Amino acid sequence: MTEEKNGLVLRGHVGIGPGVRGVALSAADDFSARYDLDRDRGVVSRPQHKLYGENYIGKILVLNAAKGGVASAWMLRDMVLAGKAPLALLLNNANPVMAQGAAFADLPFIDRFETDITQAIRTGDVVYVDPTNGCVRIEQKV
Amino acid sequence: MADGAHGEAARWGIEYQQRVGAFFDAEDFAPIRVVHVSTDRETMGDTGVAFIRELVDMAPEQRRPRAFAVADFRGFDEETFKFLLPGRDLAAQSEEAVAALAQLGVSTSHAYVNDHSVTAPAFGEACGYSGTPSVIYMNGLVGARCNFEAGPSSLAAFFTGRVPRYGFHLDDSRRATHAYRLGFNPNNVAEWGAVGAIIGRKLNSYWSVPALEIPDKSAAVLSLNHMALNLASYGSIAMFHVIGVTPEARDWTDAFGGPAPTPEVLTQADVDEFLDSWGGTGEKLDVVALSTPQLTITELVEIAALLDGNRVHSDTALLVYAPREIKAAAERIGVAQQIEAAGGRMVHGHDFFATFAKEIRESHNWDRLMTHSVKVANICAGYGYRPRPASIEQCVKSAIAGKVLP
Repeated sequence: MTEEKNGLVLRGHVGIGPGVRGVALSAADDFSARYDLDRDRGVVSRPQHKLYGENYIGKILVLNAAKGGVASAWMLRDMVLAGKAPLALLLNNANPVMAQGAAFADLPFIDRFETDITQAIRTGDVVYVDPTNGCVRIEQKV
Repeated sequence: MADGAHGEAARWGIEYQQRVGAFFDAEDFAPIRVVHVSTDRETMGDTGVAFIRELVDMAPEQRRPRAFAVADFRGFDEETFKFLLPGRDLAAQSEEAVAALAQLGVSTSHAYVNDHSVTAPAFGEACGYSGTPSVIYMNGLVGARCNFEAGPSSLAAFFTGRVPRYGFHLDDSRRATHAYRLGFNPNNVAEWGAVGAIIGRKLNSYWSVPALEIPDKSAAVLSLNHMALNLASYGSIAMFHVIGVTPEARDWTDAFGGPAPTPEVLTQADVDEFLDSWGGTGEKLDVVALSTPQLTITELVEIAALLDGNRVHSDTALLVYAPREIKAAAERIGVAQQIEAAGGRMVHGHDFFATFAKEIRESHNWDRLMTHSVKVANICAGYGYRPRPASIEQCVKSAIAGKVLP
């Protein structure tokens, strides 16, 4: 984690997809497109989830770990094509399904950060996601 | 392959696999012989079917397969799904996907891939399986080598004949990272599933590999399968060992590749607490979904015996899922007829959770669900149900009573 001219930079592993800028939606909870989302409405639908009821469309979704089964690999692209996807996904720990889904959807995705990404980025922060260089810049803190 | 000399489908596949492989620092590819393609219609969506059609539309020489691929649980039970989802023609939608896959050369079957009736990798063989229950089964119980190769990823492997070599293709990744000891014998598959769910929640990482010592080494494969698929469902875990049972764990040292830590003990109280935490005792019961994995013939016989002389409550739906051939086998010995005469519904085709379960709930105004599958409980909680996992016996008796029995 380093302070640079345009904001705090968090480093992870080299990721997938193009660079994007957006507003974060963050929680110390896990992620599966099948287990947690109402994909028609674009909201988190699992009552136990810390983002329950939150709309994630167009947000930089920041969560802890990928969970569950294979469904997310097909679903992420379906969500992107329907215009009902997050703008990017940042996780502490991915599994292959999430990486395969992001690659299929060309959804910006980074994991394995040097710090707990769910604590470093708060909901409402404006961040720039740079998968090619495996880093995220927090440009504006709430 | 990347320059298109082996066809456009292989070019797409290898470029896609290189992106995923780079993400996980894979140094090269592992050749494969068999692929499992997970194709439930809800997961694929219309866009997934359209993507497969794009592949079909290529000239045959542009999409030559380089592995044997199978998709299990072909299609839907038309009669039952007219009841479950009257507003959606699932049979027609499913047929679109099946037809497109068949044109690619993917073998579509009614079997459950873990029963080995279609494909079976050998010990140590790299493979490209898609479904999480199948991947952890092949890694842990068979000793084959596989990562989760989800839908499009398994299709890529089908065209390239290889998968990126990272994760559970590597010796070091397959060794145990955490030790557990079961201090009791689980009484049924729901309790085995709870063991998997408890460990999965604790570890919560694809890269964790639990090793488990169990008191009765003759535990049935079905029991271990329930445990494994819930390790995957609750913790995204793809590899496990059972000491003295699974092929890479002759003893603790073998599982860990060296000295093992002191195992954490799991008790009957832990499992009871997990199952009770879902609540619902005494409440009206709307639906019982017995699926995931789909039922064996011995489980169907057990259900028929539990229903003997009884009738499913008029306010409760009892859905009993079995592969088509198992359903036919149950019909040949009269068991399916017994279940249906008592008011149960025998269903073949895709699982309950994979067939628009949220729409089913909304269509029938269902709320409380019981299941013997701890995985179904996990998924359906996200679809607005209030699930309660329990033994098959408890589920069927509750279906008769029309309320959740303790």
